[in-house]
Amino acid sequence: MSGTLSLKPSYYEALKRLTAELVGVKLGDDHAFLVETRLAVLARKEGFEGLSHMIDELFSRGQTRLAIHVVTALLERATSFFDGRAGYEALGDILLPQLHSIYRGGAVRILSYGCSSGHEVYSAAILAEKIKDVLPGMDINLTGVDYPSQALERAKAGRFTHFEVQRGLPIRHLIEYFDKDGEDWVVKPGLLQKITFIDHNLLADIEQLGTYQIVMFRGRLKQFTTPARIRILRGLGKLVCANGYLMLGSHERLDEMNFGFEQNMVAPGCYKKKPHQEILPDLEPNPEIEPEIAPEADLDLLPRLQEYSNNRTA
Amino acid sequence: MNRATKTCLIVDDSKMIRRVATRILRDLQFTPSEAGDGRQAMEMCKTSMPDAILLDWNMPIMDGLAFLKALRNTEGGSKPVVVFCTAERDVIKIAEALDAGADEYVMKPFDSDILESKFSEVGLLG
Repeated sequence: MSGTLSLKPSYYEALKRLTAELVGVKLGDDHAFLVETRLAVLARKEGFEGLSHMIDELFSRGQTRLAIHVVTALLERATSFFDGRAGYEALGDILLPQLHSIYRGGAVRILSYGCSSGHEVYSAAILAEKIKDVLPGMDINLTGVDYPSQALERAKAGRFTHFEVQRGLPIRHLIEYFDKDGEDWVVKPGLLQKITFIDHNLLADIEQLGTYQIVMFRGRLKQFTTPARIRILRGLGKLVCANGYLMLGSHERLDEMNFGFEQNMVAPGCYKKKPHQEILPDLEPNPEIEPEIAPEADLDLLPRLQEYSNNRTA
Repeated sequence: MNRATKTCLIVDDSKMIRRVATRILRDLQFTPSEAGDGRQAMEMCKTSMPDAILLDWNMPIMDGLAFLKALRNTEGGSKPVVVFCTAERDVIKIAEALDAGADEYVMKPFDSDILESKFSEVGLLG
């Protein structure tokens, strides 16, 4: 398949280094076709004659703005509504009822970390709506965060294509929570206003995001380099409040580091936060398993990405 | 394996749509059969009730909605899972189909992921 691609292997290697350094995401060798497709669209949008011209420009002149656009285009994930259904069953059948028994209703905050185009956070919002009669008094607020990108802009608008709304979303949910707008479907204002979206560099300081009873970070672990993964999980350990939950994908595990969570899962991929006093030892850095984020990285680009994010939200 | 035993009747006046749906449903381990309109589909259901029906709306002789209403009033007609598959995208039309007894609804154009998702939704896939 790689024989049909136009991107030079050396450029693909350079792009892999760029995404690893900027955002801690590792592109596999089997992602070449996806990378080329995504970047060809971006190249057209940016007014380049072709993909090679854009990549030439990127690496010969080192444009930060272009680097950010390239990387965020590569970060978009193909997601669908209620993807990994077991996770939503755990959310509705175990996690929210347990939190309801602790808080006796009250406000519960759910964070979708790396929300991409919003399928996960909107699915959770629909589930929350469905469950509110069973868990009276529980006020569920949802937040989606991700790198600034076209995908996140679509999430904020709550706009989905004809094909997206038909993957994973039961038809009754579609007509209850979405309005048809031309060829697209748009989340109804009542649901949209329950969700806050924040542009956020997933590797940046996480504490400014506040605390949450449930953090969803599902199906993303293998996407990140080991140092980036450790940095993110350590951050998420701080975001989840005592007795709260971290939701990974059903097949994902925390392995030997628990980041402040109990070792035994309450459901596949779901970890409960330990009481506060037990957390601290796990959060101490361990130099043997925590290398620098990327030794060869141009770390100036990380704050610039954050700055870009801040400017967009200003 | 259970999935191999499921039967699905594809009801559509377009030969091309029936051919595409047949290929996708075979990939999903269904045993598909075809009807070109509602009346033919009803005859086939009376002979052997399928596990699932993929049903177009606008067809000659007997349209999808009339077929569905008749099916649900037929002995054994509550058994098949009915997935409407139509170019109708109006919310009122969708609600009308659901009220008439449809279990799910696919808006054309569709692809294999959508059909797989919808058949999973109604519990016909693992």
